[in-house]
Amino acid sequence: MVKVTRGTLVKCDPAMKEFLIHLDETMAIGTKFIIEDLDEQHLFIQTDAIETLMARVDDLMDKISFPMTEKS
Amino acid sequence: MGGSKREEKAKGKRGRKKKVKEEEEEIYEDNFDVDEEEGVPGAAKKNAENAGGATVLEDEFGAKDYRKVLEMKPDHVNRPLWVAPNGHIFLESFSPVYKHAHDFLIAISEPVCRPEHIHEYKLTAYSLYAAVSVGLETDDIIEYLRRLSKTSIPDGIVEFIKLCTLSYGKVKLVLKHNKYFIESPFPEVLQKLLKDPVIQECRLRRDADMITQVETKKAAPQFGAGKPGTESAAAPAAEPVQEVVPVPDDITDFYSKLDKADEDDDEQQTSTVSFEVDQEKIEVIQKRCIELEHPLLAEYDFRNDTVNPDINVDLKPSAVLRPYQEKSLRKMFGNGRARSGVIVLPCGAGKSLVGVTACCTVRKRAIVLCNSGVSVEQWKQQFKMWSTADDSMICRFTSEAKDKPMGCGVLITTYSMITHSQKRSWEAEQTMKWLQTQEWGIMVLDEVHTIPAKMFRRVLTIVQSHCKLGLTATLLREDDKIADLNFLIGPKLYEANWLELQSKNYIAKVQCAEVWCPMTADFYREYLHCKTCRKLLLYVMNPNKFRAAQFLIKYHERRGDKTIVFSDNVFALKHYAIKMNKPYIYGPTSQSERIQILQNFKFNPKVNTIFVSKVADTSFDLPEANVLIQISSQGGSRRQEAQRLGRILRAKKGAVAEEYNAFFYTLVSQDTLEMAYSRKRQRFLVNQGYSYKVVTKLAGIENDPDIFYKSREEQALLLQQVLAASDMDADEERIPGEGNRPGGVKRTAGNIGSMSGADDAVYMEYKRNLSHIKHPLFKKFRA
Repeated sequence: MVKVTRGTLVKCDPAMKEFLIHLDETMAIGTKFIIEDLDEQHLFIQTDAIETLMARVDDLMDKISFPMTEKS
Repeated sequence: MGGSKREEKAKGKRGRKKKVKEEEEEIYEDNFDVDEEEGVPGAAKKNAENAGGATVLEDEFGAKDYRKVLEMKPDHVNRPLWVAPNGHIFLESFSPVYKHAHDFLIAISEPVCRPEHIHEYKLTAYSLYAAVSVGLETDDIIEYLRRLSKTSIPDGIVEFIKLCTLSYGKVKLVLKHNKYFIESPFPEVLQKLLKDPVIQECRLRRDADMITQVETKKAAPQFGAGKPGTESAAAPAAEPVQEVVPVPDDITDFYSKLDKADEDDDEQQTSTVSFEVDQEKIEVIQKRCIELEHPLLAEYDFRNDTVNPDINVDLKPSAVLRPYQEKSLRKMFGNGRARSGVIVLPCGAGKSLVGVTACCTVRKRAIVLCNSGVSVEQWKQQFKMWSTADDSMICRFTSEAKDKPMGCGVLITTYSMITHSQKRSWEAEQTMKWLQTQEWGIMVLDEVHTIPAKMFRRVLTIVQSHCKLGLTATLLREDDKIADLNFLIGPKLYEANWLELQSKNYIAKVQCAEVWCPMTADFYREYLHCKTCRKLLLYVMNPNKFRAAQFLIKYHERRGDKTIVFSDNVFALKHYAIKMNKPYIYGPTSQSERIQILQNFKFNPKVNTIFVSKVADTSFDLPEANVLIQISSQGGSRRQEAQRLGRILRAKKGAVAEEYNAFFYTLVSQDTLEMAYSRKRQRFLVNQGYSYKVVTKLAGIENDPDIFYKSREEQALLLQQVLAASDMDADEERIPGEGNRPGGVKRTAGNIGSMSGADDAVYMEYKRNLSHIKHPLFKKFRA
């Protein structure tokens, strides 16, 4: 029987893909969300996870950036 | 359960340790006690920031709306300044009166940020203190600021300036004929001081009353062969512009007046009042005066010092000072006496020449303190190059070289040599004894930002000197303890503008670039999984970074450039260097090998690239190098970044045709912590006006067949090596004597038998002396 799952295709650079896989494996957002690992740059993931993932990636970017305008 | 508890405890400990380590990265400098507070006068602790009006409208981006507070002048177009109520001053560098305003602002405020068009300065208590000590007066400061400003000056600022300057600089501690005098042109201030019981005690009553004398100030000394012509040569460049654009007359008038006050002090009669004080109680007096809000300015009247013999050094005629060097020295010797203070010049801008000239001007015994044995040698060379001093007059005092000190004029040594507290050799002991009995005319402190206050105090107690000159390129510390220097040495006398020196070709024109290297998937996976201390190794060893480094090295070798590659991580340093077959220098490299490598780098056209660890950060003089590649660095240290840039700043000969003649690359692994560090490190240089170009892709790197780590297999192999590396490798290099991190493992000789008690080992129980562990609750019940 054919099973249909609604998903979203994500295209990103290899490092970012690793980050998403890392989130998936450690169940960082509570569930697994990767449906299929397609190739180096593409992942197929569940649509409803996207919002949380975006927030996670934002967090990562915040962590590795430093505000240039310091308050002194 | 006990086991698990212990485990937990250990874990907690490790966690804490990690935290401590992270903190150390932030404040990795020497952390010294906060007992310096008392040496700071009350006014200095006040902050202009809070002096401003409390209710200022801010828009959503944090921009402040001062329209209601300040009034715009009708001819604001011709005036270059904005003065904000919070003490920040903004200067338009394209204004026709920029030069005037710039000189003035440098004297009264601290530069915060100096990019191309708008410069930001900040008024602080320290900067105003410095302004007073170089001879500006309260009314002049306010008046001139008023004239330069586009708007009215906020009342809070006027108040602040008055508060900080009125009490400063009124009294001077002068050393004349080897007697200490407290001198002031204001009799009422001295009266006030004399009423204080502490100061009364310190006063030497040789004559009945205060000495009033009318003194003719002398002209500022000329420095060596540098004639006034050198200064005026720079000036005309600004003149023609002035004629085109109308400049409000009052600004130019006042500027020339200000200039005059600064330079031509001759034929000006001032009457001063003074009283003599006891030499042994100087320290007490200084402290007391600070408490009374009248800090003493220390000045040394070296021309009238007849007790200390002159030494016979002069500048060679070939030594020509650049305008900014002369300016900085004029600040120091403004009124014919030597003031103590700090001069800030970028690396490679000729700090040593300033130091040598200062020594030659004072012409008394001089002591030079620097960081390492290498820089001792360099200072000696500088002395021989610029002045008439020869080997017999210069004495080096380091653990390697001990020249005969007796009768020498210039002593060059290191901070650690002076403050060394363990047993010394007999020879060194003798030298120290001699050193302590001398009265030194001038003390030059190289790289003054590196020394902690404690060590500095020690130096001061050992060495008696009349005036102190601090030299540095980067007057900043991550722990903001730099302000202490103001009161330990003296105010900042001069700070050069990097970009201006660059545009006049005194230092190299540097293109800064940050090269982003994407992490490979495999490395990034490991990066996400591993411990923090391992992460460093992974992002440094990122194959893409290696490839970028190799590509850049090859590119610049083809151009005939000399390249230095910096890596703080020794594992990476060795791996990169060995793989690319280049020489490398790090901590354990022996002195002779270092010299050999450096000589080859200098003269051998086949050796164009060397790899160095952070031992080369400061005072490794490599004038040939013009490309610098940084593959790993010490956290977010702004100072290291600036110091490293300094390695390639020395002006390059015959390379004026190009827009840039030096290159500074930082390789950064994308999506890792390194990005944040890199941002952090750049702050200082960005504030000096440098801009970083971000390179996301190096064109042609994919097509070059010779570059390593192209295939996935090779990369995997590298990953294996990295993962196999021990924790020790993962850490940054430690240089002995730098910070006191616990040194993990101890090695003792022995055999396996003795471990199990085969020798004469006897079982013994050690009772830990518990008496010193006291619970705070029971403290009360003990004596």
